[in-house]
Amino acid sequence: MLGIGKARGSLGTERAQEALAGYGFIAIPMVLFLIFNIGALFYSAYISLWRWEILGPTEYLGFRNYAFILRDDVFHTAIKNSLYYTIVVVPIQMAIGLTLAVVVNQIWRGRSFFRAAFYFPAIASSAAITVLYIYIMAPDGLFNHLLELIGVNPLGFHNQGNWLGHSDTALNSIIGLNAWTTSGTMMLFYLGQLTAIPTEVYEAAKADGAGPWTTFWRITFPLLRPAHYLVATVSVIGALQMFDQAYIAGGSGGDPAYSLMTMVLYLYNSAFRQFEFGYAAAVGIVLFVIIFTATLVQRRLFGSSDWSSAR
Amino acid sequence: MRRWLLLIAAAALAAQACGGGGGGGSSFNPDNVSGTVVLSGWQASPEEGQALNAALAGFKAKYPKITVDYQPIAGDYPTAMVAKFSAHQPPDVFYVDSGVAPDWIKQGVLQPLDDWASSRGFDTSQFYPGYLNAFKSSDGKTYGYPKDGNTLAMAYNPDMLNAAGVQPPASYDDMMTVGAALKSKGMVAYSMSVTLDRILAFIYGDGGNLLSSNKKSDAIDSKFKDGVSFYLNLFKMGYAKSPSQLGVDWNGKALGEKKAAIIFEGGWLDSYMKGTFPSVPYKWVAMPKGAAGQATLGFTVSYSIGKDSPHPDAAWLLLTYLTGPDGMKIWTQGGVANPSRKDVPAPAGKDVLVNSASFAHPWSFIPGFSKVNDAFNNAFEAAVEGKGSVDDVISKTKSALDQQLNQP
Amino acid sequence: MSVTTIPRVAAAEPQSEPVVRRRIGRGAVYAILILYSLVVFVPFLWTLSTSFKTLPESLQLTFIPQNPTVQGYITAWTQLKPALPVMFFNSFLLAFIVTVTNVFFGALGGYAFARLRFPGREALFLLVLGTLMIPDQLRMVPVYQILVNLGLVTPGPQNYVGISLVMAISATSLFVMRQFFLTIPYDLEESARIDGAGFFTTFWRVLLPLSRPALATVAIMSFQGTWNGFFWPLILLQAQQHWTLPLGLSQFRFQYSTNWPPLMALDVVATVPIVILYLFFQRSFVSGLSAGAVKG
Repeated sequence: MLGIGKARGSLGTERAQEALAGYGFIAIPMVLFLIFNIGALFYSAYISLWRWEILGPTEYLGFRNYAFILRDDVFHTAIKNSLYYTIVVVPIQMAIGLTLAVVVNQIWRGRSFFRAAFYFPAIASSAAITVLYIYIMAPDGLFNHLLELIGVNPLGFHNQGNWLGHSDTALNSIIGLNAWTTSGTMMLFYLGQLTAIPTEVYEAAKADGAGPWTTFWRITFPLLRPAHYLVATVSVIGALQMFDQAYIAGGSGGDPAYSLMTMVLYLYNSAFRQFEFGYAAAVGIVLFVIIFTATLVQRRLFGSSDWSSAR
Repeated sequence: MRRWLLLIAAAALAAQACGGGGGGGSSFNPDNVSGTVVLSGWQASPEEGQALNAALAGFKAKYPKITVDYQPIAGDYPTAMVAKFSAHQPPDVFYVDSGVAPDWIKQGVLQPLDDWASSRGFDTSQFYPGYLNAFKSSDGKTYGYPKDGNTLAMAYNPDMLNAAGVQPPASYDDMMTVGAALKSKGMVAYSMSVTLDRILAFIYGDGGNLLSSNKKSDAIDSKFKDGVSFYLNLFKMGYAKSPSQLGVDWNGKALGEKKAAIIFEGGWLDSYMKGTFPSVPYKWVAMPKGAAGQATLGFTVSYSIGKDSPHPDAAWLLLTYLTGPDGMKIWTQGGVANPSRKDVPAPAGKDVLVNSASFAHPWSFIPGFSKVNDAFNNAFEAAVEGKGSVDDVISKTKSALDQQLNQP
Repeated sequence: MSVTTIPRVAAAEPQSEPVVRRRIGRGAVYAILILYSLVVFVPFLWTLSTSFKTLPESLQLTFIPQNPTVQGYITAWTQLKPALPVMFFNSFLLAFIVTVTNVFFGALGGYAFARLRFPGREALFLLVLGTLMIPDQLRMVPVYQILVNLGLVTPGPQNYVGISLVMAISATSLFVMRQFFLTIPYDLEESARIDGAGFFTTFWRVLLPLSRPALATVAIMSFQGTWNGFFWPLILLQAQQHWTLPLGLSQFRFQYSTNWPPLMALDVVATVPIVILYLFFQRSFVSGLSAGAVKG
């Protein structure tokens, strides 16, 4: 018996108290967000209408910044790269993360060890990992050596075996790196929810004669819907803002041939290499709109994702 | 809030203009200046740190009433500095890289120095023009003094050249012959960057130019194209490879790992080779001659004073000491940097680099230049990959440059 | 190939089904897992071994130094400004504060968004999500100016108040907790509310203890994100004495060269606390709800 009867009894003050508690509990985070995030967004929206330099505005431009952005080939490339990156990396990250979480949740021996091991790429210094990756993917690096071992000659490829340095393969190489390093965090997200699924559910399934594969697809996977939503949303938002590896591997110019120019890199350049804050703010607003749209679309697709109770 | 700050700044400027500068000519007495001055810059290597401390000790001895508070910035210098500028809280004295100087000058975050130099007596005639001009605005005002300077020169591995029986090339034509000779022995002749900050030296060598002398219009012509074609040709013939093609992150490493025989870099190569590849032999020689003679690029960093600096007088004393003959001598004598003044002797072993300053062009152009830089680099890389022609490189660079020139 | 075995709260029982087939399946799985783990540790092993190399040797992809030396560690210890213990303390202090605030406010807020009804809840949550869509580089200047106006960007201790405020709560923490709370059956709260518990008590006494896995996730991510975070410390910290470890790490990287051995030594030292913390927290990832909570 759910407590609907009770709630209905003194509906007025009950709900009012609940609403008050709700607002109270979220008050401090919302205030901080308002000041440091939403406030910054409105500030950016305002200055995007100006030619705004380090020391302040110099000229009112209206929407000229936006017109310029939409006409800029480099920005088109940046959008294309960011979108491509996101569409490819997110499913891979989710799949790897989910697999790792399920595996870690199931195995018995050495569970702690594997749990630590799988999360490790997310902990370990990204400087070391990126540098190592650059070494490994160099024309005379380990990866090409392994390819040669299995009879493939990478130097004959179009990119001459220069995975990170050639415009055709640079972005895909970054995808390879990031899919792997972020999977640890995705695993963590999934694990948090996975461990909350009571074992009785599995026992019931087994009693009904379900095999492991069926159990996974029919029971575990759907039960993880809140986790899927979390992981997918966070992944997409993060992927659309990919900056660090593009910057380290390609330099601030998005070399080679703009293949590593991402939207945030474009924003960064506008602000801190061209010192045009108004323009950078406009880029930020465009970026925000794109990400927000993507998130809304996801919300539609995954439903409101409330798993239990209609509260 | 923003308008407030603008009003205050405007009022302060007006007051300053009426009041005749930071202290006027006759009323400025260095002995009366005291207090703290904040010095900032990017993280230096330990050797540079020591040299800087020695120079600061020299300053303290000369001006005991002034305390220097050294607050370096780790990592991304322009980003951190821009934050401070925007809040009107810059350090008093700080580094300015010649590449960003035009932007920072135009946006008004640096203090103009000419009035003080003339009224307080600071001799700027000894600075190499190639370095000093990097910190002048388009109307000729100075906003910083170069603290040291570096030029590109040619570093080569004598063993590898001897194995192919050649001497280091003295001209661009020589470069082709030497390249062929080394290639025939199975060696890569040149490790060369595919970025404008190296290629431009060769463009200058062939008589090309990016900008007209008044920096108001682009001067890209057929000689510019010649320089680019020559450079690209080295790649097409297989004499030159880019660092990433050789699996290294920069040319110095290619030289150290003996993946190439000749590279074009600056004085920073020395401490790198000494620390990382101490057993690999190499020698310095000046850049080869192009169709228009010898040319190279000069990279320099200035000490500048923040426009909103709260301690301008102390800052001025620190600035002129560090960029004056005494301070610069202490700073450069250990070999961590090369002097930007003619009256400071070159440290041992750096003659080639210091002498090259006489035909160096500054790496400093117009505000918003980084976009032009990116356009050129990306187009050139595409050309190296076979995805574009020299004409594409020229047209993309020209349009990016024109766009920046047409900004108000 | 059979990949999964059913988890049991009790000790593992021997299988009575086709044992051989299961054993081979399980063996193959373990082999793959071990292989993957080895791959995962490779970067760290390289970091560790490079920290014991000399600079010339450090550029090579070898795993055993030819002339092992502790010079890297000595350099890191002596040359670091501020001194390593100071930097460690700074990093730890900041990470601790940010983790505590994220866990507390994340859980509290996540509970509100998941379970309490108030007008505009979904819209406000979308707003929260929206904060993730604003890159740090974009909001840097306004945030900096606000903090300057509050007097929190100075070389004094208030600096840490400033940077803590910026990092105090992340939308991800709220998101993780909310999703977790959504999976808990309402019956538990129901019983507590019927017993007369207020909203906060229900949250604190009933739901919070059940959410250990999610809390652990938030704690780990907040701590590790702050510990390795570079951007805000770079922008906001004024005095060198206040620098955190990532800023210290950058002291060994220069424009054209990197002093690998001390950098890697510092890396090793900086990674150890995270690993310890993670091992400590991951015990919270225990399968299944405690017996009896639902059935009571």
